[in-house]
Amino acid sequence: MKYLLLILCFLNISLTISQELLLEAESFDDKGGWVVDPQFIEQMGSSYLQAHGMGVPVENAQTQVNFKNKGEYKVWVRTKNWVPGEWEAPGKFQIKVNGLVLENTLGLRSGWGWEYAGAVQITDKKNTLELVDLTGFNGRCDAVYFTTSNVEPPSSSKKLATWRKTVVMEPLAPKVTKKYDLVVVGGGIAGCAAAIAAAEQGLQVALIHDRPVLGGNASSEIRVHTLGIYGNFERILKKLDTEHYPNGSPEAHIDQIKRDNNVKSYDNISLFLNWRAYDAKAVENKINYVDARQTATGERLRFEAPLFVDSTGDGWIGFWAGAEFSYGRESVDEYGEEWKEHGELWSPKQPDNAVMGSSVLWRSFEADQVEDFPEVPWAMPVARDYAKVKGEWQWEFSRNDLHQIDDAEEIRDHMLRAIYGSFGNAKKLPENANRKLEWVSYLVGKRESRRLVGDYIFTLNDAKSGRTFPDGVVEETREVDVHYQTVLEDEKNPDFISEALFYETPKYYIPYRSLYSKNIDNLFMAGRNFSTSHIGLGGPRVMRTTGQMGAAVGFAASLCKKYDVNPRDIYTGYLEEYMDLIENQKYTPIPESKK
Amino acid sequence: MKIIIVTLLFCGLGLVWTPKKGMVKTIEYQHKMLTKKPEFFALQWQEGMALKKKSTPFFIEVETLGNQNVDILVNEQNRPVLYTADVCTPVCADGECRLMYLTLYWDLLGAYAGYDKVEGQVLTKHDHEEFLEQDYEKLHRLLLDDNSILKRKKIDELVSKPKEPLQDGVDAIAGATIEEVKESVVDGALYSCYVAWNIAHGPIKGELRDYTIANFDKEMKGYMLQSNEQDYQMYALGTLNEAEYLDHRDRIIQIFKEGIPLIRSYIVQNLPKLFWESDSLQMPFWESFATVDINSRSLLLNHIQQAPVEVAVLLGGNLEIMTKNQLKLYLSAIENEVMTNPDINAQLLRFAGSGTHTYAYVVAEFLEELE
Repeated sequence: MKYLLLILCFLNISLTISQELLLEAESFDDKGGWVVDPQFIEQMGSSYLQAHGMGVPVENAQTQVNFKNKGEYKVWVRTKNWVPGEWEAPGKFQIKVNGLVLENTLGLRSGWGWEYAGAVQITDKKNTLELVDLTGFNGRCDAVYFTTSNVEPPSSSKKLATWRKTVVMEPLAPKVTKKYDLVVVGGGIAGCAAAIAAAEQGLQVALIHDRPVLGGNASSEIRVHTLGIYGNFERILKKLDTEHYPNGSPEAHIDQIKRDNNVKSYDNISLFLNWRAYDAKAVENKINYVDARQTATGERLRFEAPLFVDSTGDGWIGFWAGAEFSYGRESVDEYGEEWKEHGELWSPKQPDNAVMGSSVLWRSFEADQVEDFPEVPWAMPVARDYAKVKGEWQWEFSRNDLHQIDDAEEIRDHMLRAIYGSFGNAKKLPENANRKLEWVSYLVGKRESRRLVGDYIFTLNDAKSGRTFPDGVVEETREVDVHYQTVLEDEKNPDFISEALFYETPKYYIPYRSLYSKNIDNLFMAGRNFSTSHIGLGGPRVMRTTGQMGAAVGFAASLCKKYDVNPRDIYTGYLEEYMDLIENQKYTPIPESKK
Repeated sequence: MKIIIVTLLFCGLGLVWTPKKGMVKTIEYQHKMLTKKPEFFALQWQEGMALKKKSTPFFIEVETLGNQNVDILVNEQNRPVLYTADVCTPVCADGECRLMYLTLYWDLLGAYAGYDKVEGQVLTKHDHEEFLEQDYEKLHRLLLDDNSILKRKKIDELVSKPKEPLQDGVDAIAGATIEEVKESVVDGALYSCYVAWNIAHGPIKGELRDYTIANFDKEMKGYMLQSNEQDYQMYALGTLNEAEYLDHRDRIIQIFKEGIPLIRSYIVQNLPKLFWESDSLQMPFWESFATVDINSRSLLLNHIQQAPVEVAVLLGGNLEIMTKNQLKLYLSAIENEVMTNPDINAQLLRFAGSGTHTYAYVVAEFLEELE
């Protein structure tokens, strides 16, 4: 069992000695039906446990807690009511200590912070702690804090971070450092392809991913099918991609097994599943290391390498290291990306912070018997009268006051309200009496966030003209497809439904120079955080294309190692060899036995 | 100008042209004047309006049937109101072709505006069945969708190839259409819909828009700005210079109050600087804060640092409609006013203590940190 036992003795005002113990919920021994949610650590401070039961209370999470001292402890729980308002909080839960439910129901406060659960008399060393979900509607518990003092722990995020470090006495740096030739952060299709390409060229690769399964948006947890062409990398990308099933289909599980097995088959890929990077340190424009934390146990590791790939989607490694990045829509004149027919919906006269939104996919099925679904008044202000029994890619949310990274939890929660409310509306129709929710993702599938700036910024004009590049390593034929929220055209539309504008293009190419950072010398990027304009992203944001980016940087990394140079040097000094290597990927390698 | 619409879609598949008895190659103008609202029409129609047809240099060329003129419809003051064409086009599928007759209308920016049936002609679909009233309505809705799936798919991508031999029929759905197509088109009339959509949204669209723009004058600008048509409003707004923003400010404020979110956002983003430098010019926009959409509120709040203190007080009465990030923006802007302005102070205290508002805690924490 991993928990943090603290017998911190400190002086309070009355000079008494208090006992305290902080237990991170995600480190519970048995999580029951609760799920670990590490998506919003940067915003709210930690992974947390969530009771994602689609309206049916989930099994208790439980763990053993060892106390050093007996006594009466006050129990505080870090949580939040995820939809405060004039209704009963949707995510209510309770705490049970040694089988006894503490007096206060939890999940009631607005905004992340501490709620008082009650007092408990601890008489033995070993104790059992349980989280009891009451609703099945996404109650959330970040941590449980036992204290003999009367002081409430701090709620404001600034104070909390300091408090947490003090309480757990965590050293500044991880104790263990691991060294690789290449560290790839983010195990979506791009990251996996980068890891495989580099590994095939003999590099020792670390692949760090914050979920238990690989694939990111294509994974069985989010279930977006892969689109785009294979370019030069069919062999590698076929190890990772999906069939063209409807988005949200359980067929994603089949491709999941294929993908995970394929990546795991490389001995020189060290796979760190359920590890989330939380820092990257650059000195003189060179990243020295990336630090990551196990999403459940809290264990930390430092990863050192001469080269790094940012395939986090959100451009976190670049962000921490100080890489130049962009976010939002450029003005129509910045790169000349006008499409008259769609005007402001396509590209605005003034730059703004609007971006394509995030999706949460879901589906239901016809049960053999009548199925009930609870009233969800807290969802109705979002869903209004919209009634549906499944959601596809059009279920997408973006709004100009919400940042796709900083406000991702609110975006995800807005989508959950849209889903539960719309399903609740559909359930009121006689034809849906037997309908039952089968699957609702709790992971937010993002389309667009930070875009790291490279030596070249790919734009619509490169796609429109089919411009070729001496370093064109990614190729695509798919239309440039940019989304907007339909509520912009009519306020009667739900604010969580989008529409796509498709700009037909000839075959187009992305240069290698869009795949490494302009100002961080040893940083590659692959995936939606590559160097592009907002409109430019519309085409190559799909996952076979981002997979091509990954493979391209994986091969580039192998030449960086061979010549002990940085990514830019491959373009300036080794381009011919690099392009030959890329070109050769079209052909199946001759097995060693037949050489 | 020559605009070619290739409507014999299936020639390459060995389909043949089978003229029917009584078929005509061209049709006479349906009406010289348009005095009543077209049967299927998306724009506002002014009662009593009588529009006269005048010719334009444009025509639609329909293969084998020749040119079909596009006219401009002008009002009694000779001001352009619409474009129109009486279209006769073959629709071919499954080895047989028939003619489809429609009178199409476009607005002054080339967007599809509506259609009329041609007297004595009906639209037909699968197995020669005539369109029902709801089919005509669905066709209109489909034509209104400038982003229809029909735009980006070729006809052979819209149908799965059937295993069985094709049945005869005017407009049979040869094979099952994919689900999205089914939602978009009149059941059993995929080919008619496809042909009609591609005429209405073909190159003629851009040509008509360019024609209007080439003849765009002050009068037209005023007309579009006064119009309730969103495309007209947006286009006219895009042509205004600083002086014209001032001249038309009352109308711009009205559009901001009553328009769609997209246009409101455009207005806030593009108002000349002088509006934000003048208390009286910016005040009407702030006064609409409570009634406009969330995106427009966010864009307004980007200007709060330039707003007079009355705005801070006004918004203090609207804290409950602000999103979390809007509240944060507001609070950071009024940080220096809180202690000195009793009105604002009282509003914040009332909101923080209300206990029912979602983001009351944001204000409570703000006040706490101030202490």
